[in-house]
Amino acid sequence: MNPPLAQQPPTATALACFVVEDSPVIRQNLIATLEEMLPVKVVGTAEDERSAVQWMVSPHAPCDLMIIDIFLKTGTGLEVLKQARTLCPQAKRVVLTNYATPDMRRRCTELGADRVFDKSAELEELLSYCAALATPAAL
Amino acid sequence: MGAPAIGTGPAPAATLRAWRPRWRPGVLAFPLALAVGLLMLAINELGYRQAEADLSRLVKMGQVRLELSRAVRRVADAESGQRGYLLVGRPEYLAPYRDASADVTASLRTLQALYQSLGDVAGEDGLRKLRAEMENKLSELDAVVQMADGGRRPNALALVATGIGRDQMDSIRRQADALIDAENRQVAAGLASVFGTLAQNRIGISAMTAISLLVLGMYLRQRRLADQQRSAQQLAIQHERDRLEAEVRHRTTELTELARHLETAHEDERARLARDLHDELGALLTAAKLDVARMRPKLTQNAPDLLPRVAHLVETLNSGIALKRRIIEDLRPSTLSNLGLQPALDILCSEAAERLAVPVHTNFAPVALSPSAELTVFRLVQEALNNIAKHAHASEVTITLGVQPDGQAMVSVRDNGRGFVPAQTRHASHGLVGMRYRVQAEAGQLTVHAAPGLGTLVQAVLPQQTKDASNSEAPTPLPPAAS
Repeated sequence: MNPPLAQQPPTATALACFVVEDSPVIRQNLIATLEEMLPVKVVGTAEDERSAVQWMVSPHAPCDLMIIDIFLKTGTGLEVLKQARTLCPQAKRVVLTNYATPDMRRRCTELGADRVFDKSAELEELLSYCAALATPAAL
Repeated sequence: MGAPAIGTGPAPAATLRAWRPRWRPGVLAFPLALAVGLLMLAINELGYRQAEADLSRLVKMGQVRLELSRAVRRVADAESGQRGYLLVGRPEYLAPYRDASADVTASLRTLQALYQSLGDVAGEDGLRKLRAEMENKLSELDAVVQMADGGRRPNALALVATGIGRDQMDSIRRQADALIDAENRQVAAGLASVFGTLAQNRIGISAMTAISLLVLGMYLRQRRLADQQRSAQQLAIQHERDRLEAEVRHRTTELTELARHLETAHEDERARLARDLHDELGALLTAAKLDVARMRPKLTQNAPDLLPRVAHLVETLNSGIALKRRIIEDLRPSTLSNLGLQPALDILCSEAAERLAVPVHTNFAPVALSPSAELTVFRLVQEALNNIAKHAHASEVTITLGVQPDGQAMVSVRDNGRGFVPAQTRHASHGLVGMRYRVQAEAGQLTVHAAPGLGTLVQAVLPQQTKDASNSEAPTPLPPAAS
């Protein structure tokens, strides 16, 4: 809806993004922030494991980026990560969690996560990562 | 309060009951036995003396009879000697006559002595008559012999033929027989008296023996009753002790259950609070940071003078996030669930070393404990370190975790601080009473060694989990915060 921000290159194509997050407060804020600041288009959301897998299995728009929370209403983001490795292999998969312990980071990486960000402390890093992801694609 | 009063009530009465039967046979049986023994002795002695006296009298009576017969026989001998002399006229016939006369005199003297020693007055009277008749007879015989010696032989024979001598002899025999009969009667009476004494003796001794047997039986019966009562008493005491022990065990189990319940509720509450802080507060803070991130580019462009305020706002939000982390970590050690017991203790100890500014030595070996036991160990070390910080003034702390030779897990916290007197210091003041129950709830044992000036050692021994159980726990993929 909004015109691309002035600092965004006009040629940048919007990054198709799928968000798995159970907290409505964070989900709404995250979507708004991503779409406002970056050339990102959120193409789908889910708040539990079952509906996330459902979305990946059913025919859907191409997806470039998946942002996955670990603790969901039901099921876990770990399972979503595992499924995404086979169902959306082309998408970058990042984990955004409150439990970014070394053990959790290791486990997520083993399940095919490209990056793991702490929900409280590493939001800036997530936004920078997404921006970097959008920019080289345009170059 | 009621139970001990009921428990101690019957004891004094029972003690009295136990004492009385022991008293009775002891006090009554011994004098009775003594009296019976003395009576038996007396009866025996009296009987013996009576019998001895009777028998010696009987012997003397026998001598009297013998002596009477002999005197009569010797009178007859003297008469036949005199007759022989008269018939033949030879002097050698006179020798038996003289011997017999002398013997009769001796016999009469013996009889006199015997009657006197028997105290038989009637006998002495009879003897006097007999003596008179015998003396008459002897003097008559003597007169006839004198006559014959004087040459008046026919006169002497005529005197014999008158029959006076025969009458005298018959009278002597009658008198002697009467005396012998009297003596016979007295012998019979004496024998009856001896038999009576023997019979009395027999009855008396039999009766006393029966009585002593009765006393013995009574004594034994009382002893047995007393023994029975004593063992019944002991059984009752044993029973009461068992009951109290069971009661104590029951109460302890209840308290342990209660402590476990309270600790579980406590931990659950902390976990719930931690989860709420984590999820709800975490989401709000994250949302706030996202808002700031959205605002920043526009502010950079349109109102650069506000940027320091934004930076300060981000700082404040980060402080809030850090505070939230610390509170959550304190409420529920995520290091424990995420990293395991040993690394969690490592972090706890290095933090404590920093806080106390004293070296904290650690010596950890792997142990296999259930998640709740691991939490107990963690809390125990945490509590002990808090106590050291508050009370001990220690300059060195050593924390050990390992497996004992008996296969149980052991954790100990030792300091070299001031220590305390365990008997005077309530454990509650050291926050260890809850810990004790908590360790017991994990089937373990907590011990506290302390002495003033010698530091404190808090030690807990907990059973290890079997290999199968720990394997089944292992695949749990997530910390317990998952809702």
